[in-house]
Formats: sequence, structure tokens, C-alpha cells
Amino acid sequence: MVAGKQDALLAQMRKGTLQYCVLALLADEERYGFDLVRSLAETDGMVTSEGTIYPLLSRLRRDGLVETTWRESTSGPPRRYYRLTTAGRAALEAFKGEWGRFRDAVDHFVERKAG
Amino acid sequence: MSTTPDKLVDRYLKHLEVELDDLPRDRRSEIVDEIAVHIAEARAVLEHETEADVRNILEGLGDPADIAEEARERFEVGSSAPALASYKPGWIEVGALVLLLVGAIVLPLFGWVIGVVLLWISNAWNVRDKFIGTLFWPGGLGFSLFLVFYGASQSVSSSPTSCQVSPVGTGQPANCIESSNSTGVMDVLAIVLMVAVVVTPVITTAYLAYRLRHQPGAATA
Repeated sequence: MVAGKQDALLAQMRKGTLQYCVLALLADEERYGFDLVRSLAETDGMVTSEGTIYPLLSRLRRDGLVETTWRESTSGPPRRYYRLTTAGRAALEAFKGEWGRFRDAVDHFVERKAG
Repeated sequence: MSTTPDKLVDRYLKHLEVELDDLPRDRRSEIVDEIAVHIAEARAVLEHETEADVRNILEGLGDPADIAEEARERFEVGSSAPALASYKPGWIEVGALVLLLVGAIVLPLFGWVIGVVLLWISNAWNVRDKFIGTLFWPGGLGFSLFLVFYGASQSVSSSPTSCQVSPVGTGQPANCIESSNSTGVMDVLAIVLMVAVVVTPVITTAYLAYRLRHQPGAATA
């Protein structure tokens, strides 16, 4: 495969799965934007530009998968905290099942050939 | 501390706002606000902020154009397809096109006036297009046909059309000559004019119809 095509494919896969990573980060606790972005950026290869998370967060909010509350911060301006809605939790659970099957299927072929 | 980091942040946020220009306003301000807070959070963590720190924060956020591109993708705006769909020609546009062209023939004067009203009501054209639609010609084909018939009857009733003032000193006041040569030129000119007069409203209508199909940015009208 051409390198450019492969890059584009990886970018698409990252983009498609990123929202579930965000939902997963919110599964146990509510978080504010900066905190979320830093957590995602810590894991190598998931986010290239931190700023691109914000359009995604906005979209998730409009889709009703997350909801937000403003809270005062001791160290700066008020923060918008994101938390999962029931719909968001359901979407995350559904994706987990699908993703597990998909990952196993791909591993089954890719790993066998490599090993 | 110098104000340069603040200027850098301001410039970044302004740039971002410009890049997000084609997004709905509430989404644009939500994203810009969140990124402004993000920058403030990142700067608050620093003990001794340097210009390099701020540049690193902004670079980590990424190019405003990339953020805007992501936003357009996430909200499915900016590509021409949805914009065209929202300007799908409705009865207003079809009515305007038909009435501007032949309205004055079907319903003298009023047909064309209704066409103009529809033209200006519609969101599908910008102001320039609307002026073009209104000015070429008032009355549309009705006006053209009127001119053509009027012109034809005139040239029939008064064939010696070219008059010349006689040279000074000959004593004759004015001389209307029936030069076949100059009449021929006049006829050709008249025919060209007539054709132009008839074709213009057709071209105008075709142009407006074309703009309907090829103008995703019509929302600014």
C-alpha cells in the first residue's frame, strides 16, 4: 500500500475511534476539557493536535452522549466539566463489544502472518 | 513580563475564529471559548512562563486550520453537498425564473412584477444576481417582443429613416435622403438589436438558473 494512503487510513481509524476513547475516559469520573485532552495526549499516537478534541467534545454534547456543567476553578477561569449521559454510556458499551470482536478478528490474521 | 505571550494567544484565537467562520455561531464560540480556557489552564500550571512555553502550548493545540477542518467534519458543514441541499430550488426560485422570463406575456406587467418580488424574496441569489435579474429586462420577454413589434412597425411606416442636415450654404433646410446603402446598415443594426433584445432575457434566466445550481455560498446574500 502507498504510504500516503496508509497514513490516511490510520488517521481515519484514529478519528473514528477517538470519540469512544473520550467516552471511556469519562466512564468513571467527570473531567474538564484540559484534563481530558492531556489524558488523551499522554497516550502516544492517539492525538496529533490537542485542539481537535474540542470540536469532538462539542459534537458529543450536541448528540447527547455527554453533558456539561461549569464549575469554578481555584487556579483559573471556570471549567466546563464533561460527564457521560445514559445514551453515552450505552454507546460506549455497544462499541466495546464490537471493538473486541473487530480487534480479535484483525489480530487473528495480522498476528498469525507476522509470527 | 512582556506582553508578547498574550499577543501570541490573542493572535491564535483570532486566527481560529476566522478559520471557524463557516460554522454556526454557537458552535464556533463554544470551540473558541473552550480552547481559550485550555490555554489559560495550561499557562496557569507554569511557574515562570516564557514565550517559548506559550508557543509550545499553541503548537500542541495545533494549526487553527486543522481544528477548523476537524470541526467541519464533525459537524458535517463546509462541504458543498449539504450547502447545495439547503438551497434546493423551491417554488419561489422556479416561479421567479418563469415569471421574469414570460410573466409579462401571460399576465401583462403584473406577471413580471411578481417574478421580481419572488427573485428578491429568495435566498438563493445574491444582491448582484438580483439586480441582473431585475434590470435585464424589466418585463422580460414581454418587453423584448413589444420592442421588436414596435421597431418593426416603425421601420415599415417610415422607411426614409436617415436624415441629414444639408451642408451650410445650399439653402435647403434639411434633407431626408433615402440612401439604400445607409438603410441597409440601419436594418442590419436593427436586426442585431432586436436579436439582442430577445436573447438577453433568455440569457439572464439561464444565468440565474446556473447560479442556483453552482452557488453553495448563497447564504451571504
